Amino acid sequence: MPNPKDYAILFDASRCIGCKACQVACKQWNDLEAEKTENRGSYTNPPRLTAHTWISMRYYEGLRPDGDPYFDFIRGSCMHCTHAPCVVSCPTGAMAHREGGVVTVDEKTCIGCRSCVQACPYGAVHFDEARGVVHKCTMCYDRISNGDQPACVKACPTDALTFGTYQEIRALAEERVRVLKERGYARANVYGLAELGGTHVLYVLTEHPSQYDLPKAVREAEKRAATGWLSAGIAAAALGAGLKFIVERREALKGGGQ
Amino acid sequence: MITVNLPNPMGEEHWGFWIALYFFLAGTTGGAYLLSVLFYDKDQGLVRRSALWAFLGVAVGAGLLVIDLGQPLRFLNLLLNGFHPASVMWLGSWFLVLAGAGLLWVYLRPTSRGVQQGVAVLAALVVGYTAVLLMQTAKPFWNASPLLPWLFLASAATAGGALLRLWYPHEKLSRLVIASALVEGAVLALHLIWTYPAATPGVLALLVGPLAWAFWGFVVVGWGLPLFLERRNAALAALLTLVGAFLLRYFVVMAGQV
Ligand code: SF4
Ligand code: SF4
Repeated sequence: MPNPKDYAILFDASRCIGCKACQVACKQWNDLEAEKTENRGSYTNPPRLTAHTWISMRYYEGLRPDGDPYFDFIRGSCMHCTHAPCVVSCPTGAMAHREGGVVTVDEKTCIGCRSCVQACPYGAVHFDEARGVVHKCTMCYDRISNGDQPACVKACPTDALTFGTYQEIRALAEERVRVLKERGYARANVYGLAELGGTHVLYVLTEHPSQYDLPKAVREAEKRAATGWLSAGIAAAALGAGLKFIVERREALKGGGQ
Repeated sequence: MITVNLPNPMGEEHWGFWIALYFFLAGTTGGAYLLSVLFYDKDQGLVRRSALWAFLGVAVGAGLLVIDLGQPLRFLNLLLNGFHPASVMWLGSWFLVLAGAGLLWVYLRPTSRGVQQGVAVLAALVVGYTAVLLMQTAKPFWNASPLLPWLFLASAATAGGALLRLWYPHEKLSRLVIASALVEGAVLALHLIWTYPAATPGVLALLVGPLAWAFWGFVVVGWGLPLFLERRNAALAALLTLVGAFLLRYFVVMAGQV
């Protein structure tokens, strides 16, 4: 559970108009170079986050089973998890929580091993070939630690993005879900309360998270590794004993029979 | 700032060819040392010779690992920048250093059985942690089943046995290699079935996609053929098994990043 005083961002999918102002503002404030893009038949562009694209809006369109068309938008970026898999798997401490629960990478310590890239369930950490280190959204730490809002929040024209303390943001998210349910969005929900110890970016959704390709029931990196060590221990014992039996017991049995 | 990037000869994955080669070197030579301690501790010459191979495998493998970092000159951060036991990458780096030192010691000086078994535990940790490293990530092909450590350990026994067999033709080894190869095949099949629902693209890439050459190359040339040849041409069988062990590491590493 994040500390109530931590920094947090709310993304409200019911208010987002998919204008990408956040995406552009992020590039500008953080001085991130442009990506070469191409038309892939979707408004999502670039299709994936990279070392130079820390936020990219994703677009989902189609027909619901009842024939109603839908066009949904979701923020794709770092969720600033409380039990962040990137932080857990980093061998150097370069990827770490800063004051206020924000996850950032210290570029002077990072060795570019990419454990964090592989660990993130949101695909939010990326390797910069030219600089040999990883980059990701910093929640604009340079801005928020000086009392300002993140660039994306500041740029958002529809109040789909809000910045505040975790306590405020969570209360606002729950209030929005209540209002949406009243208005007939029966499946409205908050995403990020249970995931990875609670994320510092919360989403208000009008549909089930899977509709936006959001992972549900993400396992924490500590638990994944614990399963791995346990399985490795059992495997080593079982294979060692099994092979010993096959090689030596059978030999002894054969030898005894001679 | 020095950023040597060892290009991946076969793609743009974060962990690619060099990591697979390192897994193969450490796994095979570590496996050979483990088998020599488990089954041939009466032949101290063999134990010490396999300790030398394993030392070389671990040292060269660790060298590849370091060169593949984005910031190779900062590799000491892996070990010395704080205590990060939850990070499998951090633990693995220590296992490598300790196992390397232990193996060199076993090779250089006559040591007691106890020391050799202690070093064997370290070698087993080096072989096993690579699987746990993959399991700690968010990639379903690596973590949706707990079987990766079984696969890597069984493959280390098969390939390690094949390596020993090149220098040390012995009926016992032959039986061992066949037994562990059968376990390895069964574990691989089970792993693919188990991870298929969560990691469909990865499994399909192996069976019918861009990685099919490596997968079927392993199945036919690196696994089936050696089993067939084991009683006919042991040296050729051993060589093919080694090729297979590399292909296995390679396609496992790549399929996780499809
Ligand atoms: S790439 Fe850098 S930040 Fe990521 S796990 Fe490795 S050292 Fe840590
Ligand atoms: S908080 Fe800053 S860095 Fe993060 S997505 Fe928004 S604008 Fe980008």
